[in-house]
Amino acid sequence: MSETAPSLVEIARGFPALAKAGLVRRDLLKYLGGAIALAGLDGCERLPNEEAMPYVTMPEGEVTGIARYYATIVELDGVAQPVIGKTFDGRPVKLEGNEGHPASGGASSAFVQAALLGLYDPSRSKLVRENGEPGGWDGWDRAIADLRDRNDRGGGRGFRLLTGPVGSPTLRQQIADMLDRWPQARWHEYRALPDTGRERLRLDQAQAVVALDHDVIGPGPLQIFHARGWGLRRRAFQAGQGDALLFAAEPSPTITGVTATERLAAREDRVGALLMALGERLGLAMQAPALNSLESGWADRAAAALRAHPGAGLVTVGPHHPPAIQAAARAIDAKLGNLGKTRITLPQPQGPTPGDLDALIADMNAGEVETLFVLEANPAYVSPRAAEFAAALRKVPNRFHAGLHADETAMLASWHAPLAHGLESWSDGEAADGSVLAGQPLVQSWLPVRSRVGLLAGLLGDGRSDREVIRATWPQLGDDKAWEQVLLGGVIASALPSSLRGGEAEEAVRGGARDSGLPQGLAASRNDERRKTEGLALIVRPDPSVWDGQFASNPWLQELPKPLTKIVWQNAVHVSPALARRRGLQNGDLVRVSAGGHAVEGPVWIMPGQERDTVLLHLGYGRREGGAVAQGMGFDAWPLAGAAGEVTLTPLGGNDPVCTTQHHFTMAGHDFIRFVDSLADKLPPEPPKAHFYPRQISSPAWGMAIDLDLCIGCNACVTACMAENNVPTVGREQVAKGREMHWLRVDRYQQGPEDEPQHAFQPVPCMHCENAPCEMGCPVNAAVHSPDGLNLQVYNRCIGTRTCSAYCPYKVRRFNWFDLTDDDPPELKAVRNPDVTVRGRGVMEKCTYCIQRINRAKLDAQKDGDRPISDGEIVTACQAACPTQAIVFGDVSKTASEVSTRKASGRDYDLLPEANTRPRTTYGARIRGGGSIT
Amino acid sequence: MLASVALVLVGLTVSTFAYPESTYVTEVGWVQDQPVPFSHKHHVADDGIDCRYCHTGVETSADAGLPPTHTCMTCHSQLWNDAAMLAPVRKSLESGQPIRWNRVAQVPDYVYFDHSIHVARGVGCVECHGRVDEMPLMMRAKPFQMQFCLDCHRDPATRLRPPELETQMAPLGWSEARKRKFGEQVMHKHHIDPKVLDNCEVCHR
Repeated sequence: MSETAPSLVEIARGFPALAKAGLVRRDLLKYLGGAIALAGLDGCERLPNEEAMPYVTMPEGEVTGIARYYATIVELDGVAQPVIGKTFDGRPVKLEGNEGHPASGGASSAFVQAALLGLYDPSRSKLVRENGEPGGWDGWDRAIADLRDRNDRGGGRGFRLLTGPVGSPTLRQQIADMLDRWPQARWHEYRALPDTGRERLRLDQAQAVVALDHDVIGPGPLQIFHARGWGLRRRAFQAGQGDALLFAAEPSPTITGVTATERLAAREDRVGALLMALGERLGLAMQAPALNSLESGWADRAAAALRAHPGAGLVTVGPHHPPAIQAAARAIDAKLGNLGKTRITLPQPQGPTPGDLDALIADMNAGEVETLFVLEANPAYVSPRAAEFAAALRKVPNRFHAGLHADETAMLASWHAPLAHGLESWSDGEAADGSVLAGQPLVQSWLPVRSRVGLLAGLLGDGRSDREVIRATWPQLGDDKAWEQVLLGGVIASALPSSLRGGEAEEAVRGGARDSGLPQGLAASRNDERRKTEGLALIVRPDPSVWDGQFASNPWLQELPKPLTKIVWQNAVHVSPALARRRGLQNGDLVRVSAGGHAVEGPVWIMPGQERDTVLLHLGYGRREGGAVAQGMGFDAWPLAGAAGEVTLTPLGGNDPVCTTQHHFTMAGHDFIRFVDSLADKLPPEPPKAHFYPRQISSPAWGMAIDLDLCIGCNACVTACMAENNVPTVGREQVAKGREMHWLRVDRYQQGPEDEPQHAFQPVPCMHCENAPCEMGCPVNAAVHSPDGLNLQVYNRCIGTRTCSAYCPYKVRRFNWFDLTDDDPPELKAVRNPDVTVRGRGVMEKCTYCIQRINRAKLDAQKDGDRPISDGEIVTACQAACPTQAIVFGDVSKTASEVSTRKASGRDYDLLPEANTRPRTTYGARIRGGGSIT
Repeated sequence: MLASVALVLVGLTVSTFAYPESTYVTEVGWVQDQPVPFSHKHHVADDGIDCRYCHTGVETSADAGLPPTHTCMTCHSQLWNDAAMLAPVRKSLESGQPIRWNRVAQVPDYVYFDHSIHVARGVGCVECHGRVDEMPLMMRAKPFQMQFCLDCHRDPATRLRPPELETQMAPLGWSEARKRKFGEQVMHKHHIDPKVLDNCEVCHR
């Protein structure tokens, strides 16, 4: 700064008050020095006085500051996921899988983790509405009483109940009671997405799995069960106990295809041909159509693997394929003796058989429906026939709706009631393995909401509390002792009791592929006819993050990078590299996709490994109602879900960049992800690298091993980390600038030709380098190293130079560009983990190996007679969530610890060894094969 | 000119060194207004109630905890059950609304202080909370700033005492040498290493 006139003009602009004083350079510097000194006092200000509000009457056993845990369930599409909810002072802050339950074993999924945020969702419906106007429960109760009287008089004539998938035995019982009382009433169950019905796949028993267009371990209500099974099988294979072969044929890469030991890119309509080819090779009376060389080679090897594992193999077809194809897969399994071993069928529940949505729409159009009660379903959006449903609904005089959100269906209802979230309700449900679970509220509702059970009880004039209704379903738990035991473990029974079972298990696979022939929701039943071998094939699939749209208002899931594309906050038109080349398309180019008279417009995303002529759309976006987070993102692909006819793809001109967290998917000659060919192979040993300092291993010395052979890229760890560590979301605009805050990301890389590459996943948390470059870079010593090997960030020292992030070779540090937390509504403040600091603007943050869990275990061990911390006592949030146990954390100074065993496997390697950072997080190379066959 | 420079310098000195340590900032000796003028002096010194009767979490939890209204009323439903100054307590029990106390001992949110481990190691209540038995109205006795914590974390020996004496407010009457000898025994027994006790991650996460 000079002392000439222009600089004073500059000063006047920046500091008007100073300029008036007629200052010269030296004075100004003095004042600036003073200002800096005063700014430094920022941290010395007097703390604001806080209030403390103790209980009036302390709940029994409560100690403030100590977490309490409750076994409960999170229901996904009618399947209960066993969870343990952690609460502080009655406030749920984290969900973990129920370790004592075989369908979870402690593991969870992204949907289960994010259910916690769903509970606190500020956009949840908070009010009873009558024709859109806020009302109260009094009005609702009067309207329901009128309805009950009408139904009692008319035997339920003209009354219809529409529910989502019903898995709860109590709910089923209530519906049965309702139909007994009002015989002319009808129940319709809407399953928007096809499912495997009562069939379950025991991947832990299956040494050779053939998945035909079936994302078995992908997102959905059975993900934890299936992925855990795969993890168990794969770890058994690693231990030399049998094979773990997975053959996948699929039109667009899914995490099942990425995990597969052999993947084939095949059009959706080739599934039948491949299945016939398998059957033919395995000696069934099936005639395979002509296959190309890739297909026949794949089928040869898949058939050989199946033949080698009779009774321990599995052929499964995506549930959206028609019954004939399902039956063929089942026939192959029957021939190989797999039925009842790898493919089990749960007993049918007792109770009425529901009608479907199509029947309801037909009846509504025919004027046969006088009153419709929609309980937790949103067919005005979540359906290919949403517009038809909406039009038909307008013909119904009395329209009741109860849901978590004032969604598209709520907007059409004459009465809307706010529904209680599952985590604040009493419930029961059937888990993926067929066991029956109890769901207890983790918190008392702070909103004026009612549960599903309560709403149906209200409809029936049943004055009992929710808990009483649930307990009445389980008379064997009559005494309080037995009931308390159930609440402790969460399990009511290991299977549906015979009193609640229906007839023989039905043979046909239910769900989207029903015998009625019409697709309900998303089904591919007409694919074979409608798509000629030439031309484009359109597939419409649920979104890996927001599913069918039910999670669209959940920012943790919206900002969760989709496993393959890492796209966030939107969907895209996925095309193959070949199609993109042919049409001259780039990522982000806007196109119109039309089929069967419906069209959507959106940006293109080129997906390597996608079948040449397949166009993939994801559902769940383009929400018209449902809250600020849900609305206005992406396009609604539901109308195309059931569309038949020719598929056209028309470039619209223009480009709208797709928002993604990863921009380079090829390894470009590097070996970020390493492979070995078979179990016997080891990675070549790294030559020892010179370093100025000797290696120092204290005891304990924390470290982590991530086995890429087990990682399926499901994102459970990423969501668990967000929940545990108060990681904020930043929104689409900021993600597009590379400012997402995830402490743990899952990278996806590909190798080989663009049309048929090999993909692999790599979770990247902080490496906790022993020689951490970030620590050397920090000018204020905010990046520090703990004696037990943690690389930590001291938020209060951090002045935000971001040098550490620039120095970090792994790019795992995240900077708070804005105050991302202070303006959160009170609900979102309540979801935070009180054991982890909420970071402010201008500081760097990063993975801490869940230091709050380490410190908790440390203090507990110290208080418990200074005992050592046992191996496995500290479980990081990502490790706990992982369904395949790919992540292991522990003490690397002890050779017997699990983490040391993993690191000694011969497949262990450092990421970016050339940086010589001596990372504590290391990776296990992926094994290409899965056994003796390939 | 010189005067103004001197003024700035004095101002800087005061603001840098004196202000942060002033009792205005540390609140040492400042009495907080409370909805009920609860006297620790009366309850501790006169009645001889042990700290843990009300602060029940102190041995097991990070939070010592404040007593629920119910605890107050165990005695005050019989004693002074119509005293005007206890009206807010009775109202709380009637209405189910908590009494809103103003916190006296508090550390910033980014400090993860854990009462239970300090109690388990033998740090007496009086070390941080002062002579509570001499406070008719509660006030902060020690500056709850990092320096105060570090003083002890770097040299805990003389602040440790036998478990049965932890809640004793009156001085133990031990010589410095005896205190140090006892403290060093405790530190040896529990492997307390002052070298790592002042690491950031001990208190901050």
